[in-house]
Amino acid sequence: MTGLALSLLLASANPCAPVEPAHLPDRAAASAYRAVAASELSAGSVETAIAAYREAAASDPADGEAREALRRLCQSPPPPDPFREGIRLMDAGEYRAAAAAFGGARSGDAGPSAVLLQGICLFELGEDEEARSLFQEVAAYPPHRDEARMYLGLVALRAGAGAEAGALFESAAASPALERTARDLARLARREGRLVLSAFAESGWDSNVNLAPGGTPSGPPRSDGLYAFSLNALFRPQGTSGPYLRAGGFLQDQVQLGAYDFGGFDAAAGWQLGGSGRGLLLEYDYGSRRFGGSSYLSAHRLLGTGWLRAGPTLLGASYLVRRETYAPTWSSFSGKLQRAEVRASLLATPGLRIGLAYGAGRDAARDPALSWLEHGPRAELRIAAGRALLGLDASVTWRPYDSYDPALSARRSDTYLDGAAFAEWDLDGRLSFRVSLLGRRALSNVPAFSYDKLLPTVGIGYAIGLSP
Amino acid sequence: MNAAVAILLASTLSAPGPGAEHLLAGARHFRDGRYGEALVEFRVAAALGEEGARAYAGASLVKLERFEEALDAFEGVPRGQDALLDYYRALACFGAHLYSCAEDILAGIGDRGGPRIAAEVASLRREIAAQRPRAPAADVIAWYTGRCTALREKNRPLLASAYCREGADLAARRAKLSGTAKPGPAAPAERP
Repeated sequence: MTGLALSLLLASANPCAPVEPAHLPDRAAASAYRAVAASELSAGSVETAIAAYREAAASDPADGEAREALRRLCQSPPPPDPFREGIRLMDAGEYRAAAAAFGGARSGDAGPSAVLLQGICLFELGEDEEARSLFQEVAAYPPHRDEARMYLGLVALRAGAGAEAGALFESAAASPALERTARDLARLARREGRLVLSAFAESGWDSNVNLAPGGTPSGPPRSDGLYAFSLNALFRPQGTSGPYLRAGGFLQDQVQLGAYDFGGFDAAAGWQLGGSGRGLLLEYDYGSRRFGGSSYLSAHRLLGTGWLRAGPTLLGASYLVRRETYAPTWSSFSGKLQRAEVRASLLATPGLRIGLAYGAGRDAARDPALSWLEHGPRAELRIAAGRALLGLDASVTWRPYDSYDPALSARRSDTYLDGAAFAEWDLDGRLSFRVSLLGRRALSNVPAFSYDKLLPTVGIGYAIGLSP
Repeated sequence: MNAAVAILLASTLSAPGPGAEHLLAGARHFRDGRYGEALVEFRVAAALGEEGARAYAGASLVKLERFEEALDAFEGVPRGQDALLDYYRALACFGAHLYSCAEDILAGIGDRGGPRIAAEVASLRREIAAQRPRAPAADVIAWYTGRCTALREKNRPLLASAYCREGADLAARRAKLSGTAKPGPAAPAERP
């Protein structure tokens, strides 16, 4: 019984399994099945034709024509439908093979759809020029024109042509199905370009100002208002992927406690390989900082980071090393700082991203009592709702110091609990409004180094993308 | 919806003719999601004179995403007799980018199909609203006209006329939006 059930199951799964003849031959039915098979074959539906020939052969075991046709089709089985195969491969994330399959489906009924999907696969692989040519081809086919324009916009955006991308997104927004996404992208495109200039101004209140940068308390906590301003420029002559130059400066001044004013500038050069799916970035940065109106720190930093997207999951890792030279007053902090982090984030829904990371850092300062090795986890949550972006970050860091500090009569060991929340409202693609709250609780085996800090701020930012 | 088609078919079979068993076999395949096999059985049933088998073949073709062939299969099948089959016909129009045709059929379904079909109809109407170009461009209209001509040359006049009618509807909307009430060519009377 089991054997019979198994053979029936196999026969149903395999269209070329031996045909079981019907109890009573039915020539009329066999002839009708044959006619259907021929019609399906001429329509290009080989699988359905095989099913019809099987029924013809079963209905009339003497039907040599059906058996011969079935034998022929089964001996040289047709290749799988390239369009469906492409969809299967694309769903599995095998974009290279999917692009090849869609290439084979161009001449079929689903030709324009195959061209669009082939373009999307190549776009995912970062082969933007080939993808662009396919999107341009399919844009001539009205049912897919808006999707094609949307992807042409994404290609332009990646090439740093923000204005061209914006026009394409606006055009794609004519389709009600794409309108919302296309308008969001059009807004985003306004701040994208080969040259991106941005400025941010904010004001807030700091509950615990008198910490030196790095968190060293200098007396009982004192609160104060603050105002800050930053300017940044990013130049990417070849778009997202390729070399870039970056420069920026900031000022953060206290309303009353001017000795804690902080400011600085950075100049960096880097190279990004790849795009949103996978990529590598290498960067050199020179930074200088002033504290309380005096020179405080200059640093050379090398950064390497890589990322890989697998479906809704993005995996990444970073490493940086910074050679820090502090001003004479702080020179015992000078040395080499290294940090590394591995991270994973999941795009749970189109508007919700959850990220987890684990990092470690090593500061080899000139004074061993100021050197430490730290590590700890970090979590982040991002919620995009229309023009609003909400974020929550939390982290724990354990930082034991290397050696006994005679000045403290202890070998210091700290734990930092950090949290941040922000809400950002995109006003018109270039102008944005932001409120944020940062908080830290520092715990230390040396009571003088335990402290709390709260920093609420409101700010407004402006960014513009230019494509010179 | 698959089981609904099978039940509908079983309930409409009266005196079994030579194609009845093929019709039932097709319904079983359809219910189990074997749409290719269902199509074969429905076509054999139609060839053996079973009335109504063409409409079920049309539903199978919709499931196989062969929308234009589905519209061919629905040719000559009167509308308004069964809400579920009308819904499949509307799906065929939608899949073939014939949005006015789909809307027209869905509007005729009304409350005939009960709450389940009503929910599907509402969902399809939302999709049509999302896909339909708000301000039809000239090249979109030209595409429909070109498709109409190509199908006429392939001797598929009814399907061709559906594309012509869609193009004419879009041209009329475009003219209305641009303030020039220049009517398009008169739409043929046949409906897919």
